[in-house]
Amino acid sequence: MSVSGVRKDFLHIALFGLVYIVLAALVSNSYYLLIMTIVPVWAVMGLSWNLFSGYSGLISFGHAAFFGLGAYLVALCMVVWELNPWITIPLATLAGGVSGLLVGIPTFRLRGHYFALAMLAYPLALLYIFEWLGYQEVALPMNRKAPLMYMQFENPFYYVLLGLLLLLFTLVITTLISHSRLGMSLLAIKLDEDAAEAVGINTLYWKLVAITISAALAGAAGGFYAVVLLVVTPLAVFGMLVSAQALIFAMFGGVGTLWGPVLGAIILVPLSEILYARYAADFPGIQGVIYGVAIIAVILFAPEGILWKVRSLLRPGQFRMLGSSASVADFSADESLLAVTHDDRNETILEVSDLSKAYGGLQATDALSFKVRQGELLGIIGPNGAGKTTLFNLLNGFVKPDKGSIHFQNKALLNLRPNRICAMGIARTFQVAKPFTHLSVLDNVIVGAYVHTSSRQAAGQIASAAIALVGLEQQCDLPGANLTNKELRLMELARALASKPSLILVDEILAGLDPEAMQEMLVVLQKVRALGITIVIIEHSMQAMVQLVDRFVVLDHGALLAQGSPEEIVKNPAVIEAYLGKKWLENA
Amino acid sequence: MGAMYGLMCVGLTIIFGVMRVINFAQGEFMMLGMYFAYFCFAWFGTYAFFDGLWFPFLLALLAGPAVFLVGLVLHRLLINAVTGRQASQLEAQGHYAQLVLTLGIALVLQNGGLFLFGSSPVSVSNELSYSAWEWGPMIGERVSVFVNQAQTISAILAVFVVIGFGLLMARTRLGKSLRASADNPDAAIYMGINVDRAHRLAFGFGVGITAIGGGLLASNAPFQPYIGTEYVIIMYAGVVLGGLGSIRGAFLGGLSIGVLQQVSAIILPNQLQNTVIFICFLIIILFRPQGFFGKKDRTA
Amino acid sequence: MRKMKFIAALVCLLLVLPLSLQVNAQTPIKVGLIVPLSGPWARQGQVMRAAAELAIEQINAGGGIRAHGGRPLELVVFDAGDSVERAKNAAQRMVAEEPDLVGATGAYLSSFTLAVTEVTERAQIPMLTLSYSDLVTSRGFDYIFQTSATGAYQAENAIPLLLDMAENASGKRPETIGIVMDNTAASVAFVSPIIDGDALAVNNLELVVNEVFTPPLANATPLIQRVRSRRPDLLLLLPTAVSDAKLLLEKMNEFGLGRGRLPTISNGSAMGDPDLAANMPTALLEGVMSIVANWSTSGQEQMIADYMAFSGEPWMTQNPLCAFGHIWLLKEALELADTVDSVAVKDALHTMDINEGASEYFAGGRVRFDETGKRRDAEILVIQWQNGEPRTVYPDSAAMGQIIWPSR
Repeated sequence: MSVSGVRKDFLHIALFGLVYIVLAALVSNSYYLLIMTIVPVWAVMGLSWNLFSGYSGLISFGHAAFFGLGAYLVALCMVVWELNPWITIPLATLAGGVSGLLVGIPTFRLRGHYFALAMLAYPLALLYIFEWLGYQEVALPMNRKAPLMYMQFENPFYYVLLGLLLLLFTLVITTLISHSRLGMSLLAIKLDEDAAEAVGINTLYWKLVAITISAALAGAAGGFYAVVLLVVTPLAVFGMLVSAQALIFAMFGGVGTLWGPVLGAIILVPLSEILYARYAADFPGIQGVIYGVAIIAVILFAPEGILWKVRSLLRPGQFRMLGSSASVADFSADESLLAVTHDDRNETILEVSDLSKAYGGLQATDALSFKVRQGELLGIIGPNGAGKTTLFNLLNGFVKPDKGSIHFQNKALLNLRPNRICAMGIARTFQVAKPFTHLSVLDNVIVGAYVHTSSRQAAGQIASAAIALVGLEQQCDLPGANLTNKELRLMELARALASKPSLILVDEILAGLDPEAMQEMLVVLQKVRALGITIVIIEHSMQAMVQLVDRFVVLDHGALLAQGSPEEIVKNPAVIEAYLGKKWLENA
Repeated sequence: MGAMYGLMCVGLTIIFGVMRVINFAQGEFMMLGMYFAYFCFAWFGTYAFFDGLWFPFLLALLAGPAVFLVGLVLHRLLINAVTGRQASQLEAQGHYAQLVLTLGIALVLQNGGLFLFGSSPVSVSNELSYSAWEWGPMIGERVSVFVNQAQTISAILAVFVVIGFGLLMARTRLGKSLRASADNPDAAIYMGINVDRAHRLAFGFGVGITAIGGGLLASNAPFQPYIGTEYVIIMYAGVVLGGLGSIRGAFLGGLSIGVLQQVSAIILPNQLQNTVIFICFLIIILFRPQGFFGKKDRTA
Repeated sequence: MRKMKFIAALVCLLLVLPLSLQVNAQTPIKVGLIVPLSGPWARQGQVMRAAAELAIEQINAGGGIRAHGGRPLELVVFDAGDSVERAKNAAQRMVAEEPDLVGATGAYLSSFTLAVTEVTERAQIPMLTLSYSDLVTSRGFDYIFQTSATGAYQAENAIPLLLDMAENASGKRPETIGIVMDNTAASVAFVSPIIDGDALAVNNLELVVNEVFTPPLANATPLIQRVRSRRPDLLLLLPTAVSDAKLLLEKMNEFGLGRGRLPTISNGSAMGDPDLAANMPTALLEGVMSIVANWSTSGQEQMIADYMAFSGEPWMTQNPLCAFGHIWLLKEALELADTVDSVAVKDALHTMDINEGASEYFAGGRVRFDETGKRRDAEILVIQWQNGEPRTVYPDSAAMGQIIWPSR
């Protein structure tokens, strides 16, 4: 299905290209042809922005930096070394990619609004630097001897052709990416970056790959823009307007879609041109007002862009799904794929020693030491605020401890990022479930399965096995957002299993379940255990746990209160006191 | 200068802090404040009573309430549709829609300004703007300190406005409801606070205060309808520098930007002034994203 | 049958001929104006448009193009907008929508002119421009005509000229010079030949202040502080935006350098724009000079009065004057051209050598172009703010006032 999805997109792209080129061939007015050349440039910019920001959810105001570098590279190479654009546009693509990587490395430390605002600074700093260097205006020299060599065509039709080729190339790349592991990973990052990291997605790596490709495309667009315009000024290529246009076109058409940015450019570029041509001379300013009002009106009517609105009008009530449309029937579910083999039961798999973490004055974890044995089912209990979830966050790398060490299979875990820890074999579920809401259950789990394989087929098989194990085959095609509480928890468990862990951290998986569902869940946990996977489970209440676990670790105020078999723990006075208060103990 | 940047940053940070909206039209509201001051100056300036040197400064302060009303209306009609609770259904909490919407508003205001006010630069000037209090000469013949009179008065007014607003936020019921809506909109609703209203007021206050900053700046430099874009970026730099959402931080952040501009000009080529700002901005945001004066993020 | 056909054809011809002749005599000849009418530079575009319309009105009132049956001129206006992309689009639209355009003028900013002429060159439409960037005429184009002295020429000649003027007026030849400039293309084009060339050494000048800023200027204090501490004999002050000019001049006044206490010379029309007077007391401008490529001069009083009445502007600066003059030049070229088409107009402009009429509207008088499209006799003028108005003070032949050299 996913292969045919790609094929369908390719067919659409080819059709689009054909229609566009036929239209261009019919038009003889050189002005319309120029507009038809500029539309693809901005469509590519929109797609480039969309490829990064639309898929990863990190809003970039800085795409002008890559665009401008591409444009200046082409212009300056031609002026200084007489290099022709056939060579320099690929170079501009390369330069864009490299600059994207360089920008990404420091800037990905930031998230959300901070990231967006930091990206704003790059093109503006470059703008002033290029002015300072004295490149206020660079004109590409007219070459009469070898116009073709220098992309200086008599017939404006060829510019349209080149622009279109660039656009088709970008569309193909976008299609390939959106159906690949990269596309899935970016969607997961966009939907929930923490969860993505926890299921083993190296978020930093994929973000860097995405910004590099995206910036390379922006560089190519910039290079071609310089050839079309023949004059490059800092404001024209590094200005706020360039980044803003890319983002407006993408958002106007529909963020995160293949055709949204193209639609945005096809509607807005000519619209703004027509308005300028018709009104600007007589009523300066009115064209901008109309253009602005048009944008505002569309955003109020379709806040997520035209394409999404059209889609929801055509198929009302249908939940919007992202990602691939793979179905569980495509893969065989073989549970043995998930089995873990141990040489040695009762060997220590995880050792925590002297682990401490404080938030301000609150000691969330206080010099905690304990061990987990291979193959056991360990319950961690403690009253509210005992530091259970903080402990899990420390174990899977979300939080760095102030002090202490964690060893997993005799390897130190400190300072590893969550995705590394996941790859080593520790998976987790969350107290508040973190599904990728706009992905299907199957895709949710497939994202987790990419940890140990990059083949989509293999990932699909592992995911199917995990889904079969937890019994969610029926819900496979539902979006993550539409699941019941029980299904969500099962899905998270399946997602964790898909990373083929040796140890699963399960966070309050029974919370809010009715007794029947709770019983079902316990059965599933037993099945997981039967695969040989070690389970550490946090639970608030002791009752359900007593029949399940081999051993308890009891926490209170971040410190170890007691540990031992269920029978020992229920009789332990310190535990009873912590749970029920001193008074109860005295009365008893 | 710095104090006025500070004031504009405070306006922006109110909107961001309470509503979590990046408002790109902020510079245009500043522009509205400037033109408000200009037109009142042009209309009333002819009467002898209004001839005093204090008059432009009074107008600057009046620009606040005037633009505040504009802000209320705009929020009601447009912004409300894509922010707050309405936005939670949308992808990325409606951030995309907010960005495009505020960019659209910026376009309309800018070009509407061009249409209505024309493109000639104008200014509200009186002789204070080119007079200085000279201290000196001190230490030898040539060194003396010049303090521009108009700028000094503007700076003092700016500080007063910020302190006034700070008190409003800290002491009154209104301020409390604003802060509550900022901290946790859902909880605020349960507490019986009208979050929509709080957002509307926050937007109004935000643009109003920025407009005062604009009005004060108007007595300093000529402006035309396109001036907003030049300042909005400086405003964001200041806001981030001070820590997103903190009023005191934003004011100090804006102030630091002003100072940074001056200091860098002494050491480096003048035209790299703004590059220096952006590079400092990047360094700070990368290594101390909570800003100099902001609290550390509570999220892990 | 054949006879019948012949007669019918003859009758038709007789019927149509006078009609077509009449149509021909009345069909206007189209000339283009492409300037920014929206965006930050809209104001300059609007005054240029007013001047061009005035020129058209005068020409048509005077009987149109006599060499072609008195056909009137018609102005078609295109908005170059706020960016190079818009300017280029506008130019493309102009050549696509007006195929019988014979010539055009524009486009104010040199970066716009560069982009626009890339289009007009390929469409074979002669383009007259006031942009004085050297780049404009160094691309080997056939259809570009630059009526202003180029930036390099202005820079080269300005320094000796200023020194002479200073010596004549004050008796002392300046020895030190300061430069405070923005980094726009126009300012850079003017200053870089001075600094990079040998103009300073040849004239025994010491450069004591050299400050470049990026517009918009946030604060002029550090710049002017340096000027104040070094006290050059001559200050080249080159802002392009009115707001920057205001800030700089006010700051100079604040620091006790204004009101003519330090000889201050600018370049270009920004320093002589009515906007400036509207935004600051003209007392602060008194004595400030500017080197310009064109300005209203003595002998043009009637035309200037017409322009002022037509546009409501208080005086005529370089830009509208050039737009006005360019339309007149196109008229002269049409009179010389055999046919009404753009190639003929281009040839006429290349062979043209006039010393009267339209040439009065250009500094240096005589109008003839070299093969690159540069005007051979383009000269520079010096204007000075006197009694609240910038007046031409050099050369003497054009002067509308006597130069007042500031003395400390």
